[in-house]
Amino acid sequence: MEMIIAGLLDSLAPASLMFVFVGVAIGVLIGAIPGINGPMAIALFIPVTYYMSPLTAIGFLVGLNKGAFFGGAVSAVLLRTPGTPEAAATSWDGYPLTQQGKGEKALRMALYSSVAGDFVSTIVLIVIASPLAAIALFMGPAEIFALISLALTVIAGIGTNSIGRGLIAAGFGILVGLIGTEPVTALPRLTFDIYQLGGGLSLIPVAIGLLAFSEILLQLEKFTVKGGGTHVAHEFSSKLEDRMLPLKEFFASTKTLLRGSLIGIGVGAMPGLGAPVASFMSYDQAMKRSKHKEEFGKGRLEGIAASESANSAVVASSMIPLFVLGIPGNLAVAMLMGAFMIHGMQPGPLMFQENAQLMYGIYGSLIIASLFLLIIGRFGLRYFCKAVNIPAMILYPIVVFTCIMGSYLGKSDMFDVAVMLVFAFIGYFMRKFDYSYVAFLIGFILAPEWERALQQVVIISEFDTYMFFTRPVAMGLMILTFFVIARTFWKNIVDCRKTEAEEAAESAGQHKDD
Amino acid sequence: MARVKREMIASLVISVFCIIMLTWGIPTYTPEYPGYGASSALVPNVCISVMLFMACLSLLRYSMALFMKKPMSAQELHFAEDLGDNAGFTQEGRVKLKHLTSTLIPCVLLVVAIEYIAYMFVSFAFLMVFQYVIGSRNWVQSTLVSVILTAVLYIVMRYGFGVPVPGPQLF
Repeated sequence: MEMIIAGLLDSLAPASLMFVFVGVAIGVLIGAIPGINGPMAIALFIPVTYYMSPLTAIGFLVGLNKGAFFGGAVSAVLLRTPGTPEAAATSWDGYPLTQQGKGEKALRMALYSSVAGDFVSTIVLIVIASPLAAIALFMGPAEIFALISLALTVIAGIGTNSIGRGLIAAGFGILVGLIGTEPVTALPRLTFDIYQLGGGLSLIPVAIGLLAFSEILLQLEKFTVKGGGTHVAHEFSSKLEDRMLPLKEFFASTKTLLRGSLIGIGVGAMPGLGAPVASFMSYDQAMKRSKHKEEFGKGRLEGIAASESANSAVVASSMIPLFVLGIPGNLAVAMLMGAFMIHGMQPGPLMFQENAQLMYGIYGSLIIASLFLLIIGRFGLRYFCKAVNIPAMILYPIVVFTCIMGSYLGKSDMFDVAVMLVFAFIGYFMRKFDYSYVAFLIGFILAPEWERALQQVVIISEFDTYMFFTRPVAMGLMILTFFVIARTFWKNIVDCRKTEAEEAAESAGQHKDD
Repeated sequence: MARVKREMIASLVISVFCIIMLTWGIPTYTPEYPGYGASSALVPNVCISVMLFMACLSLLRYSMALFMKKPMSAQELHFAEDLGDNAGFTQEGRVKLKHLTSTLIPCVLLVVAIEYIAYMFVSFAFLMVFQYVIGSRNWVQSTLVSVILTAVLYIVMRYGFGVPVPGPQLF
């Protein structure tokens, strides 16, 4: 109990409060700019947290992530350009409302739904993470190895249309993550005689290159030269009923909000699914169960509530696998995991024993971030709407130069900037060829832990390859891993046959016509 | 068929990379087996083998499509931009090498030049060139952005974080 109170009091310290507030504000601002999303913002701002205490740093980044999730709704509602996939469903009903002059009302609904989903999810995280972590402590290296193998397999399917390409990306990520000092011999491995690689590649330049810089390279391709960005005139109606969201209208969507939050929590707790799945699933359910199905897609507030509550609920619930098992379920959490490691902590069940006070402090910061999101969103909504109009000619140089200096900041070494550029180049090709950079990055982060678990299994079992068969949980997880791979390949084969059959039917039809 | 050929080249490049790593990279740059635990080459070898297997599988699949005219879906045969499909969230598409090099070259020059020339000058020059490359022709705006950004980051790094700026120190 003392730990809980001490942790919560830590989160109420002025410095901690200030950085959570700043994090949420920057997050909303960045999220509102089309093309910049939460994980990208975390990658850009992790170097800044080097100089903060662990609680302040994590609080700041969590605030940033929460803010960016809501910020994504701003561009979705005003421009119908979802900066992030999870905001796509929000635009379906949000943009028609903007066209009717009710953009402010739509944004208010998005804000309150986001806060509601996020708050419920945070409470669930607080209630269940610690007991689950206590159970997870019974897992040995064999189970951890099997679990990471399963997570990597599931995650290989994120951000790509082909699990084969996902596995290549994950394998490459692990390989890059193994560069540096080998854990058993303590000798350099895969360094190619480059002395700067002796300590391994830092997460920051790799993440900035892959997430932020390569994204900018792609956006610059689409960017038409003259004019400097697209100015969007979104006129808000001056009528009070078009701007305000009465409590009655908000509470009319209570069921949808609750359902959306639960879907978000469920989806977020499972590694690999992510916020877009939750958002689409919740929207679909809301539409199916509504008495006014025909109004969906034409500016129904319930649609916004469904999408936003679900995608925001994912933010906190996706930390459940991180805190319980030490496995990141999505990219934003992978970046947070990197931040934990930079500050000397290994996320996982042991955190509740080794850093209990800090964990309760983080819980406190999570709740505070939700409240700040409500306050900042409520009073700053009109100002954040202006962010969508920042000229690209000003925005891109700022982001590019921040990427360069952010990479330099970690070790004060220009070698890291070169590494960032190399990974920006690789990231550009990965995106263009549809190789999942998400799988790469998660493989890169989990590689040392995966290898450590394998080494422990080998040493403990004295090369007994049957060790997995004596551990039912590990065996179950390995079977599940093979099942996931086999199922995906089977699905691919079935799809191929289907295409062949369709092609044959089409050509037969053509012959008949001739 | 342009996409199929491109995928084949990509798979081929990955396969060649894997073979080089398996035959030279990993054996040369991995410590010798110390006699306990797993060999330090085990995990890299497993990863590379998985990559090689997947790349070969992909190569086989696309070769069959190209040479044996095995049918493939439109999404696999054509680029998303040709199909007018912008709904997907993958960013697959054509590589624009000219754009890529013109954007990356100023960055590479910055990394090289900053070792010899002070941060203030190099950063300012880099930002001016970069803005020109991305199409900015408003010189007043470009100069203002370059000066302000260089100065702000200098102040943040020097006085905010206490980190020396890269390159030779002026002050």
